Amino acid sequence: MTGLRLATAENGKPIFGFGERLVRSLEYLRFKAKSHNALYACETVSRVVSEQHKYRLYIETFPKDWERSTKSLYRAGYFKAYSERTNEFFQLINDHRFPLLEYWHDDPELELERFAIPPMNFDLCCEEVDFAHLRDSYLAGLMFYFNEDDEIWNYFSEKYGVDKESLPPIKTAHANIWKEKREAKAKPFSDLIRLVDHSTGNPWLDVTNCQYPEFFEWDKETVDWLTEAYQAANLYFKNLEHLDKRIEENAQTFFYQLISFWNTGKIGPERQM
Amino acid sequence: MQPDESPLELLRAEIEQINPAIILADQLIRREAAELLSVEEVNEAKNILAIGTQEIEAIESHQKAFQKSPPSAIDYVPVGF
Repeated sequence: MTGLRLATAENGKPIFGFGERLVRSLEYLRFKAKSHNALYACETVSRVVSEQHKYRLYIETFPKDWERSTKSLYRAGYFKAYSERTNEFFQLINDHRFPLLEYWHDDPELELERFAIPPMNFDLCCEEVDFAHLRDSYLAGLMFYFNEDDEIWNYFSEKYGVDKESLPPIKTAHANIWKEKREAKAKPFSDLIRLVDHSTGNPWLDVTNCQYPEFFEWDKETVDWLTEAYQAANLYFKNLEHLDKRIEENAQTFFYQLISFWNTGKIGPERQM
Repeated sequence: MQPDESPLELLRAEIEQINPAIILADQLIRREAAELLSVEEVNEAKNILAIGTQEIEAIESHQKAFQKSPPSAIDYVPVGF
């Protein structure tokens, strides 16, 4: 059996073109040349099972794309360890589910049997903090962690005329700020502090570049969970947009409420500024 | 390894078979990739992979044992000498 036999559908018509059959035959001959090498045979079994697993996940996740696909099941794609079809699956995940093909995953020699996700949050651990490219609201959340640093206060003072002296002093974080359930008024502040603190419970927001990456398995449950978590992570950044607007509207009131929340765990009555 | 068994005796005691991974690899490579393996087939493949890997490790340990074996004289002259 050389693999050159014409693959046919139920109606007897050929499914694959000559090119695909040729690639398949070459794959078969490559195997046949080493067919009594047990190590190579183990690698082959492992590779076929792994690829089949990803094809199944492809079909479950993107059934219409699978039906339409003309990508080869045999020819190696950009990631050389995988067929063009599996590479297409990785691309679809990246385009429609969550970022996959960036950060660590840009080496064509890489095996993606398990994968890491890129951190979306700002790293506070191992680099000198550069405030310049941060959203104002994120920077406002950072002031609880850099309270002694006047740089943030100077920035808000210059940009929005925030008067630090007329605001309540920042105390130790109140335990209630970490409560899971929040009324609508406090939730934006709670979400902001959780985001800055990297304690959202969302892997996209809590992992940093400074820690050993967590690796995820290729299964439907994990892919769906990471997709939902990625969408939820984006909502945290949407929240920052709303908070930025509130700072623009009235920075002094915003800071008063945010510091009150940090100190007491509740927003409290609005103070006239 | 039992202390009273030589590497040769241990090797003789091994089951004589083709590594099952070789047979399975041959079957899988002939199969159409678009025909997905069932869950049972995948589990079976994983079992065979474990057996195949174990066999390779056993062979490697036999090889190491042979390499460590001290030379010993034989009591006959091999044909051709």
